[in-house]
Amino acid sequence: MSEERLFKFRKPEWLNSVWARNAGVYAAGGLFSLAFYILLDSAVWSKSAINGSDVHITFVDWLPFIFSSLGMLIINSVEKARLSADSFSYSGSGVAWKARVFAVPGVQWPGMLMGVENVVANALVGLSSVVLWVSQNMEDEYAYNLAL
Amino acid sequence: MPAAGLKTIIALSFVLAVGFLLVILSCALWKAYYPLLVVATYVLAPVPNWICSHLANPDDFVESSGAAVLDLGRFCTGFLVAMGLALPVILAHSNIIAVPAMIMSVIGGLLIYGTIISFAMFFQEEQEF
Repeated sequence: MSEERLFKFRKPEWLNSVWARNAGVYAAGGLFSLAFYILLDSAVWSKSAINGSDVHITFVDWLPFIFSSLGMLIINSVEKARLSADSFSYSGSGVAWKARVFAVPGVQWPGMLMGVENVVANALVGLSSVVLWVSQNMEDEYAYNLAL
Repeated sequence: MPAAGLKTIIALSFVLAVGFLLVILSCALWKAYYPLLVVATYVLAPVPNWICSHLANPDDFVESSGAAVLDLGRFCTGFLVAMGLALPVILAHSNIIAVPAMIMSVIGGLLIYGTIISFAMFFQEEQEF
């Protein structure tokens, strides 16, 4: 494992516990929820009376979120063992970046707050998928330790 | 877990009652009953965890499919906990509820969820083995 490293950074020792793994999964769920509700907040706010402008959130504004959620689903069905099997220079978080770059054109400039909320939501989805993926793939070493 | 007795139950029910009081007050004082959703969220929050832990067999290390179900449950629980925090903030941001109502319902929701979690922690040990 020390020779064929997939990531650039070494994982710290404290990450290698059940507690950190569970906390990672919980945090990923929380981040995803935060992303969803930030987006929902922009939608609700655009419908409410205090939105003076006539810029409104439509279905199109939900598309980046939907795409990055799909990307999250795809990334997290990839196991780390498959990636380190061969010498492909392909890492999981690269896909998250692609999803995020894909998401950025969803910004709407006139409703500044709503656009910013959209971008923040998509960044949170990306962050959530990274956290979930890392903590899901901690599992191999944990299981191995217990098997010994 | 030592001494999970009568005093624990009394303390937990006291905290739960204070939490419910805060949430219901945050609804009734402003006559906008949306913050009641927070209670439903926090009551539902541990449910995916329970279902998935009954579904999976965590002692089975040969087959790793059990851990995925557990993770799904944890993910949903984390989602619901953050939802309980985010819902009053959204409502307050759009002027549907007042800001003090938001603060009260957030604190009440945290008290309710803390009660549920500590109840599960105190009374979990007896069932095992």
